[in-house]
Amino acid sequence: MVAAWLAFAALLLGATGAQAQETDNSGVAGKTFVIGTDTTFAPFEFRDSSGELTGIDMDLIRAIAESQGFEVEIRSLGFNAALQALSSNQVDGVIAGMSITDERRQIYDFSEPYFESGVQMAVDQDDTTITGYQDLAGKTVVAKTGSEGEAYAKSIADQYGFTVNSLDQSATMYEAVKSGNAVAVFDDYPVLAYGVAQNNGLKTVTEKVPGGSYGFAVNKGQNPELLAAFNTGLAQLKASGEYQRILDKYLAAPQSAAPSTFLDLLTSSFPALMKGLGNTLLVTGISFAVAMVLGLVFGFFRVSTSKILRGIATVFVAVFRGTPLLVWAFFFYFGIPQLTGQPISIWVAGVLTLALNSGAYITEIVRGGIQSVDPGQLEAARSLGLGYGKSMQRVVVPQAFKIMTPSLINQLIIMLKDSSLLLAIGFAELLYQGQQIYAGNFRITETLFIVAVIYFVAIMALTWLANTADRRFNK
Amino acid sequence: MSESIARPEGRPKITVTGLRKSFGSSEVLKGIDAVVSEGEVVCVIGPSGSGKSTFLRCLNKLEDITAGHVLVDGFDLADPKVDINEVRRHIGMVFQHFNLFPHMTVAENIMLAPMELKKVSKAEARDQALALLEKVGLREKADARPASLSGGQKQRVAIARALAMNPGIMLFDEATSALDPEMVGEVLQVIKDLARTGMTMVLVTHEMGFAREVADRVIFMADGVVCEEGTPEDVFGNPRQPRLREFLSKVL
Repeated sequence: MVAAWLAFAALLLGATGAQAQETDNSGVAGKTFVIGTDTTFAPFEFRDSSGELTGIDMDLIRAIAESQGFEVEIRSLGFNAALQALSSNQVDGVIAGMSITDERRQIYDFSEPYFESGVQMAVDQDDTTITGYQDLAGKTVVAKTGSEGEAYAKSIADQYGFTVNSLDQSATMYEAVKSGNAVAVFDDYPVLAYGVAQNNGLKTVTEKVPGGSYGFAVNKGQNPELLAAFNTGLAQLKASGEYQRILDKYLAAPQSAAPSTFLDLLTSSFPALMKGLGNTLLVTGISFAVAMVLGLVFGFFRVSTSKILRGIATVFVAVFRGTPLLVWAFFFYFGIPQLTGQPISIWVAGVLTLALNSGAYITEIVRGGIQSVDPGQLEAARSLGLGYGKSMQRVVVPQAFKIMTPSLINQLIIMLKDSSLLLAIGFAELLYQGQQIYAGNFRITETLFIVAVIYFVAIMALTWLANTADRRFNK
Repeated sequence: MSESIARPEGRPKITVTGLRKSFGSSEVLKGIDAVVSEGEVVCVIGPSGSGKSTFLRCLNKLEDITAGHVLVDGFDLADPKVDINEVRRHIGMVFQHFNLFPHMTVAENIMLAPMELKKVSKAEARDQALALLEKVGLREKADARPASLSGGQKQRVAIARALAMNPGIMLFDEATSALDPEMVGEVLQVIKDLARTGMTMVLVTHEMGFAREVADRVIFMADGVVCEEGTPEDVFGNPRQPRLREFLSKVL
């Protein structure tokens, strides 16, 4: 009621009234900002057992948003992807346990530091041979790409004679240590502390090296009001004690994860994985439809009598068959927006990537199918007086399709599996959802097993469906 | 019987002048002049590689014409402005390897062109197809797939299909060469019956006895030119060119 009166009063006072408000939130109130974050940086951001994004960063940004009166839409993209998304203005800000460095200051504007971090080293909990840096000679350690831990590990690598292998996710780093592919992991101390408390199978063996500070970032010169609101909100949270409560929730007393059974994992992860499967099937379905159109058009170009059309199709096939899928995914999602200044939907980027890649292969399937039809068939149709188009449509293409069907089914299955590559741009498909789950609970093997079984069942079902359709229509 | 076949005096149906055809750098037809009159049955014979099939395929422009002219009912096939699809409706063609459409039934093979080009109803097209099948003695195979037919049956269906548009000209490209010997007779019989109806026909054939029997005129081709032509009696009974004599000594 009071708020309503205030709003009414503000309305009456108009511009003067708005200016009279001394808070910094005048530029952000009521707006929605898209915030990019990492997928796997527990305890700063991770998914709890119900699939909700949680962690220190998430609690902070939400608390600040609430206190400053704006909305946030969190995009869990992965660290590098989030930064690229920020550079290409796909997101308005990034909060991802990111250290403030001079290099990053050149391209982003940072908030006041909200967390003082530091690097620690951890080894397998049963490992008694590595007790400090001096035991690392000739060994390999892992660190997170672009992280403070990586910078520190590299800075002492020569001195102690070890090799640093950079990985993208905490969970994969821990798995590398547990599997013996690396002897130790350098990571930010809160991350390691949280992981150890979650029974990730590691133990810390060195003291924390005081390191950088974490900051919230916006693209250079963009969204200054968001940055200001963050700083104001942070100060308010610190003053009210809420800031410390959030830190304590994750760091002071990490909940010891109760050991849960495989069935628990299955039931708790199933809804998120099914959502992932839904996205996988949908993006595959749309992409395949588009790829079929591309493949048919360019396939006909390939067998056309026109040199120009044949040339166009040949270039199309060469380009998209001769370059990795992942390059195009990055190009469409991060590159195009930087070129055009227009953000691009992740669905559009994903469908373009898959459809153009498959379209190139389907072009070749169509060409092969048409060329494998006896040329006498076209001659017989033409000799009756049917035009080229009609002859193709009624005589050649129906026979070509029969020949093409097994290859097309094959291509569909390849596409379904290739769609998992879209996790690299943060597309929430099946494997991505699996990563989200094991990033929080560190049960990599079991989660991947479940993911693999779901893929397998989906592909078997698809194969059966396609073969049934083939038998029905291609008798 | 030779005296009984009068040389038809009908107006020219096909007029070929200076026809040349090259594939890349090799010239297969080296300037051919020929006239086929209405109602005439012309057999083209010659050794393999003589260009006789290419010549036949130029008559409905399945091969592009490199130089010269092919006039069919007054339309010059060498003229790019001539609607070749329209001309082809009036020329039926039968191929060595039948080229039936395997994804259609026998009747559908025959119905395709009338339904697509003349827009006749399905029922009407089927009635016509059944009548044509009756003619070639395969009425009962209307709903069979081509794959289930013997070679001779396939070729008879192919003839019925070529007749579906009521063409004024029929071209036969070695129509019996791919057949087992015991099936040659049934196909030749159908062709003979057709010849008796007064259809203008050009046949490339290796069946010399058949050529002698049905042809009004025989054209002997060798090395891309017309080497000798005349009545069957002249060509087979009194060959003048050494090339023709040599050929006949091998095939007869």
